[in-house]
Amino acid sequence: MAASRIQVWQYITAILLIFFLGYHLAERLPWLWGYHHYHETLYSQFVQHQYHSWWAGGLLILAYVALFHGLNGVRGILYEWRPRWGRAWDALFWLIFIIFAILGTYTVVKLW
Amino acid sequence: MSSGGPRTKRNMPGLLRASLNPWLVRVPDHPERLAFVLHRVTGVIIILYLLAHIVVTGTPAWRGWAAWDSLMTQFNNIWNQIGEFIVAGSVLFHGMNGIRLLLTEFFGLCLGEPEPPKPPYIPPTYRACQRKLLYAVFALWPILWFVAGLLIFGVW
Repeated sequence: MAASRIQVWQYITAILLIFFLGYHLAERLPWLWGYHHYHETLYSQFVQHQYHSWWAGGLLILAYVALFHGLNGVRGILYEWRPRWGRAWDALFWLIFIIFAILGTYTVVKLW
Repeated sequence: MSSGGPRTKRNMPGLLRASLNPWLVRVPDHPERLAFVLHRVTGVIIILYLLAHIVVTGTPAWRGWAAWDSLMTQFNNIWNQIGEFIVAGSVLFHGMNGIRLLLTEFFGLCLGEPEPPKPPYIPPTYRACQRKLLYAVFALWPILWFVAGLLIFGVW
């Protein structure tokens, strides 16, 4: 894949992450949700509601976008390191992306 | 090159030279280099966390919510909190600097107007608002990281 196209996808996924990751992080702000401590927002009493609401779809999109952005960033670094191994980096990128996307999808669908 | 003065090098290809040289090469008036390195380092920290996060958050799907709550109780220790603090700092810097990069590199904003290279040449981008945004990132980052620390360590 052309290096420039890799970078364009970084920008597109970054824009999506601002909104999706922004909301995901806001879920850890206890006073927004009637809790006293950050750690309380990590327990099932709060977390499982995420999987039963509209946000379950948001979590899926967040997982895909964050995985793509993160792994694509690493791919860009690897391209700089060994440009001739481009196909190997592409294959590694898609392999890890697919494995973790399946894992994330299974989690969200099972808990929905 | 005079001894003791700033050292400049070609930006040669190769992971260490191209990616980490900004830390090794002193360039005057160039905080963008520091931001570049920090962006990469924090990005690597975040992707490693993300992969672990996806595995760990799969726990309730595989083993039920009781196992999840038990895991969260186990995770409520100082070492885990230090880890979360590092990730929070990484996300804050990467996110804020990322917005600056989006504005400049993707949308072409805050770069200043091109001008003839009259010596002593100072690129217009160094005087454009992207530099102010960068200083804002460097100023806000420790403040927000401190607030995140208060949350993570249970002070607030």
